[in-house]
Amino acid sequence: MTGIIEGGWGFVAAVYLLTWGALLGYTAWVGRRLERLESTTEQGNDA
Amino acid sequence: MIGKLRRYGVGVVGFVGLAVAHYFGLFVAPGEAMMGDVGRILYIHPQTAQASMICFLAAFVCAVGSLWTGKSGWDDAMASFAEVGVLLGVLLLAQGCLWAKPTWGVYWVWSPRLITSAVMVLSFAGVLILRRLVEDPARRATWSAVAAIISAADVPIVWFSVKWWRDQHQMQSDVAKDFAQTFAWVAHTSWFAVMLLTGWLVWLRYRLARVERAHLETAADLPARAAPLNLDGGGEG
Repeated sequence: MTGIIEGGWGFVAAVYLLTWGALLGYTAWVGRRLERLESTTEQGNDA
Repeated sequence: MIGKLRRYGVGVVGFVGLAVAHYFGLFVAPGEAMMGDVGRILYIHPQTAQASMICFLAAFVCAVGSLWTGKSGWDDAMASFAEVGVLLGVLLLAQGCLWAKPTWGVYWVWSPRLITSAVMVLSFAGVLILRRLVEDPARRATWSAVAAIISAADVPIVWFSVKWWRDQHQMQSDVAKDFAQTFAWVAHTSWFAVMLLTGWLVWLRYRLARVERAHLETAADLPARAAPLNLDGGGEG
């Protein structure tokens, strides 16, 4: 390596946005599926 | 409200911890000595890698437990660890590609570390695909446990690859040496937040797997329960 790498903020921002998007997206996906299934089960039990 | 707080509280703490660490890592800490701002990936990339590998090792332990005991809890835990591990593994590879472009000039090189990491993620993705293809629960548990055990053999190879085959990929990050001590806490906070979030996501996914299984078992029981009723009810009317 011959010197300090200049710039690269776009790539750094992409790394963090991708990570946050994936973690939040997965959380929402699992959470929504869990709540939907639990509500279906509760409705079934009530019936 | 209390139920939601109990379910999502740990996740919220994890996300807040991650947000604090990333704010300081991106906007307060100085750039890395040689990589400049690109080096800020060190506040998320090694943490993601370690969390992913811990998930795969835990999936290995659960796979052994599943084969040993035949209990569905181990099978669901194995699937949960594998799924979260694949999510983190895909993120790990994407982060690495995005970092490689400004640093190495290319998104991908056929480095042993990159190849073994990709094989690890693809192998466990294969375990998840296998689970979708096999309908019989007992056979699915056995086959996917065996596949997970075989896939996990790559995890130590990924870890040691940078020591065994030296190339352009740097050695494992060492917080004590690689970070200015004033900002080592940022890397530590990010590590704890990622581990907390990983554990919580696996727990959430495990709960979903248990509810799904109970749901499917109830659905499978219904015709069996209905059959004698129909027979008995044959003379009605």
